[in-house]
Amino acid sequence: MTTASTPADVARTAPVRATDGASRTGTTVAYLRYVAGKLGGAAVSLLAVLVTSFFLFRIIPGDPVKAMTHGVPTSAEQLATLRRQFGLDLPMWQQFTDYCGKALSGDLGMSYQFRAPVGELIATKLPATLLLTGVAVLLYSALGLWLGTRSAWNHGGLGDKLNTGVALTLWSVPSFWLGLLLIIVFSVGIGPIPGLFPTGGMESGTGETGFAYVLDVAHHMVLPVLTLVAVGYAQTLLVMRSSLLDEMGGDYLTTARAKGLRDDVVRRRHAVPNALLPTVTMVFINLGHVAAGSILVETVFSWPGLGGLFYQALSVPDLPLVQGLFVVFAGAMILMNLIADLLYPLLDPRVGR
Amino acid sequence: MTTSLAWQRRRGTVARFWRQYRTHRAGLHGLAGLALIALLALAAPLLVGADVQSVTNAPGRALESPSATFPLGTDQFGRSLLGLLVWGARISLLVGLLAAALSVAIGTLVGIVAGHYGGWFSTVVMRVTDWFLVMPALVLAIVLATVMSRSMWTVILAIGVTSWPTTARLVRAQTIAVESRPYIERATALGGGHGHIMSWHVLPNVMPLVLAQTTLGISTAILTEATLAFLGLGDPTVVSWGGMLQDAREAGAVSSGHWWYLAPPGIAIALVALAFTLCGRAIESVLNPKLGVGR
Amino acid sequence: MVMVTKVPPRPVAPRRLLRLLLAAGVTATTMVAVPQAAQAVPSAEGDAKAGSGTTLTVAVSQSVDSLSPFLAQKLVSTSIHRLAYEYLTNYDAKDAKPIPGLATEWKSSPDKLTWTYTIRTDSKWSDGKQATAEDAAWTFNKMMTDENAATANGSFTSNFKKVTAPDPRTLVIQLKKPQATMTALDVPIVPKHVWEKVGDFSKFNNDKQFPIVGNGPFVITDFKVDQYIKLKPNKNFWRGAPKFDELVFKYYKDGDAAVAALQKGEVSFVPNLTPAQAAALKTAENIKVNDAPGRRFFALATNPGARAKDGKAFGNGHKALLDPAVRKALFLAVDRTTIVDKVFQGHAVEGEGYIPPRFGAYFWKPGAGQKLGYDPVKAEQLLDQAGYRKNGDGKRVGKDGRPLDFRILCHATDPNDKAVGKYLQEWWGKLGIGLKVECLDNVGDPWTKGDYDLAFDGWSVNPDPDYVLSIHTCGTLPATPKDTGATDNFICDRQFDALYARQSVEYDAAKRADLVKQMQSRLYDTGYMNIMAYPNALEAYRTDQIRSITTMPEAAGNLYGQDGYWSWWSAVPAASASDGSDGGSSTGVIVGIGAAVVVVAGLGIFLGMRRRSTADDRE
Repeated sequence: MTTASTPADVARTAPVRATDGASRTGTTVAYLRYVAGKLGGAAVSLLAVLVTSFFLFRIIPGDPVKAMTHGVPTSAEQLATLRRQFGLDLPMWQQFTDYCGKALSGDLGMSYQFRAPVGELIATKLPATLLLTGVAVLLYSALGLWLGTRSAWNHGGLGDKLNTGVALTLWSVPSFWLGLLLIIVFSVGIGPIPGLFPTGGMESGTGETGFAYVLDVAHHMVLPVLTLVAVGYAQTLLVMRSSLLDEMGGDYLTTARAKGLRDDVVRRRHAVPNALLPTVTMVFINLGHVAAGSILVETVFSWPGLGGLFYQALSVPDLPLVQGLFVVFAGAMILMNLIADLLYPLLDPRVGR
Repeated sequence: MTTSLAWQRRRGTVARFWRQYRTHRAGLHGLAGLALIALLALAAPLLVGADVQSVTNAPGRALESPSATFPLGTDQFGRSLLGLLVWGARISLLVGLLAAALSVAIGTLVGIVAGHYGGWFSTVVMRVTDWFLVMPALVLAIVLATVMSRSMWTVILAIGVTSWPTTARLVRAQTIAVESRPYIERATALGGGHGHIMSWHVLPNVMPLVLAQTTLGISTAILTEATLAFLGLGDPTVVSWGGMLQDAREAGAVSSGHWWYLAPPGIAIALVALAFTLCGRAIESVLNPKLGVGR
Repeated sequence: MVMVTKVPPRPVAPRRLLRLLLAAGVTATTMVAVPQAAQAVPSAEGDAKAGSGTTLTVAVSQSVDSLSPFLAQKLVSTSIHRLAYEYLTNYDAKDAKPIPGLATEWKSSPDKLTWTYTIRTDSKWSDGKQATAEDAAWTFNKMMTDENAATANGSFTSNFKKVTAPDPRTLVIQLKKPQATMTALDVPIVPKHVWEKVGDFSKFNNDKQFPIVGNGPFVITDFKVDQYIKLKPNKNFWRGAPKFDELVFKYYKDGDAAVAALQKGEVSFVPNLTPAQAAALKTAENIKVNDAPGRRFFALATNPGARAKDGKAFGNGHKALLDPAVRKALFLAVDRTTIVDKVFQGHAVEGEGYIPPRFGAYFWKPGAGQKLGYDPVKAEQLLDQAGYRKNGDGKRVGKDGRPLDFRILCHATDPNDKAVGKYLQEWWGKLGIGLKVECLDNVGDPWTKGDYDLAFDGWSVNPDPDYVLSIHTCGTLPATPKDTGATDNFICDRQFDALYARQSVEYDAAKRADLVKQMQSRLYDTGYMNIMAYPNALEAYRTDQIRSITTMPEAAGNLYGQDGYWSWWSAVPAASASDGSDGGSSTGVIVGIGAAVVVVAGLGIFLGMRRRSTADDRE
């Protein structure tokens, strides 16, 4: 998330994409046609991702078999066996057709290094990633919305400048570096600060159950979530702030005020809802990044999620696993973009239904 | 005669731009910060000399804490961290500039061509752009950096190739807007070819947008460079800020409490990224006051 | 933003949608959390007793590839199998010589082709059944007949002709040709009655049913990928039960996080420290740093001109490296003392022969006349004499006009490779030789294609040196340039091969050791490999959790990745070990509550904001 795009990037592209094509249409039929178009587009994208992920990772140099057996006594026969087990002895076109056939039926193949179905591996790691980044995205979206709204209310004031200044500064900080500093200060402890939080992982593994387990996980989540929120909330803040400023300049607000409505009511009832549109779109796009976005933070905090799995898979390269993860990462983006695209006309007040 | 007129007009635009830019305090601060850092980076050969990189002539002991001789302490080879920080600015800035330039160049080319030609060609090009847009950029950059051997150029390429789609979209929209203006029609009627229109009429009009994109892109590129270096995908033979963070981590500086090794490169990265962002936002709001970013 | 035009608001519909979305988000989060909480229940039942007991927690950074002994290849997995299964023989903690494991004694026939092992009667599987020779015979036969079962350890059985168990106490192995490694068969023996039900060995990971039936000092009771592996002591272990009530291998991706966890007492033991970490931990309270001679060598390998068994040469190694004088000059310009002092910060031993001094019986070092010590002046002379003169730019150029610009393959994940690369660049640069350090995640690809000039090489040496020697024989070259062989560096030397063949059939330990030393001498003289250092094993443990623990070698040895199970089997808990962890978890709970409050409050703020604006709508 931190490296994908600047806050301004997202702020500008999101609405552009979302309004493409459907903004002026007013009828349900038109909307349905729009939906069908978007669904078709998403399906094509997903298919393209499936195909490209196969070839993209075949160009990675490195013989998976040789890499996996590096430093382990291995005979030539064993190398041949491994190759046969992985299907690497087949010609490329046959590997590709096998892969496509299986992928279409939902089978992403067997991981080389874990000897388990890729789908199963991803399923065991996905909850951890969703939990961590999902909570972080929700939190920083909420924080960004709140601070962005406040900033826009008294824009130009000291509070606004401080707000945007802090947000931009935190956004400029490398997330892994912030994570490492947080570990030094709050996990290891510096001077009078005791080590309050665990250094890594998702659970203590000491056999907590029920509520105690939930607390244990929450305890492990604090620092990684804090890192993601600190680095991420600037985006939402800036988008919310600028779109609210846009709204506040609108004539209709003047009209509403002229009708004698109280200032804060005007803002809350009229300006904020309109300004929310681009922000909501952005939240979805951020949710799309959820799967891939936390590679760094997961590495720093030893979080047992997809990011770490991807990195591990890539270093072999464990082809079926990297392919599968790539499909999941890109699939999440496609799905969330699709949701944002489909919702936008619904949320957009200009579309009368 | 006509060219000098055009030049005069352009000069006037630049002057007007600068007058407006000056009203953005944050933008000025960013610019001042950048000027300072750029000066440091350019003067690095005089200030510290290429010798700071040498491991065999390292002046200190391993991982010394800050002292009068070594204001920021030393790294695991006994090299001065302050010297390395100054020297590292060169690579970090260079990578940031080149990667952003590459990304914006690709994006501008794709955007103008797609916007100009329109039709199925544009649809196909934009489909490809969309495909890149849904690819998680960092993941793609990691893959590219893994594929190629570790070098500075690999990093530049990996960042540039994965971050252009946003620019392409914006430039395409702008191109379409520009080409709907009457004088383009006039130019076409006067026999201007595709190449002429794109390079003489569209390009100058999208340049401001491109400038803003580049400035913002540099801060992203510098952060991505640090990220790739941290993941061990940087060039281990040159000194960059991201590489220093990676070295610090590999030396175990975090858990052994050598915060002075870890903190400065991170702060440097944050400051430069912030400076570029501030400039970029100021440029943007000058070009498009409606954005409201700078208000 | 530009495109969002201003219109009078119709806020109700979007609001409702937003609320729904938000609710969905919250539910999704809870749903994710709940199944995990539910999952924790069954594993916790097994731990019911653990709360009061002593736990030894080991930080590991490697993922377990498989818990099946037939598939596992990573060190962390094979170390765990050492704990969970008995092997025929074990290695003495003192000097790594073979001692009884599942077999109490063994003998070979006069023709050296038949080995008879006597299986002990006091080893039971953890489900109560007796472990017999039949289990061992089944394990080996499975590996010989099912290539999937030979995935991990097939190299041990490739020379077996027939394995039988004439009675429950006797195992007979017949060989195709004599094999000196018959007391170093690192193959976990599995219970036949459990494993004969397994269908496809390439897909069975042995991680679904816990506890896993075994007969080692520990029993594997729980496993979560990249989180932990838990083991309980085997109370009936024939050598005596381990002292700790639980052994946990906990996964830390980040080395610094593991060290921080050690400082806080979250883990009892951390391996693979960096010199800086070791230095910082040395002064810490209740922590002992163990700096032991390692079992690895860290070497420079030069491409001797890659070729296949069919005689075809391939790859693009620099031709100048085929000149012994050039290689000699390169090695003469390597200051091994500096590498030990600066790169390893003193935590290494200067490299000499191929096998590290830790394995005393096989250790060899070059004689005074043979040794290539640090002598850059002599290196310059050698190059001058061999006709590699410096040109105007100070670069050495060969007779063919090609400059001496070499590439060196470096493992991108190994900080030592990168660090030594910097020094080599400068040392060789002074000789007028250019060096490009090419760091890759997978050096295997250019390496097997022969596309390299030099490479950083290193192997972890086993108590039996057969394998690390075999990888320099002609027999391990790839069959054709397209194939991959087990060869390390494409070395093929008749003299070395002859010695290898002699040692592999030599059953007399002293005579074999002498042959192994001659092989190392020959390898040194060929000049294709140069050992720069033997890195130490740097590890640390908490003395308030572990009172005593056996290193291997016993005198000054390491703890993690031993050849036997001595460290964890012998570890004695400190008096304070059991209450320490309890205190930690209760403060953990308190802070955890705080954390939960923060998370809930954050969501609350968001919900509150929405609520407030909906209330306004109704006014």
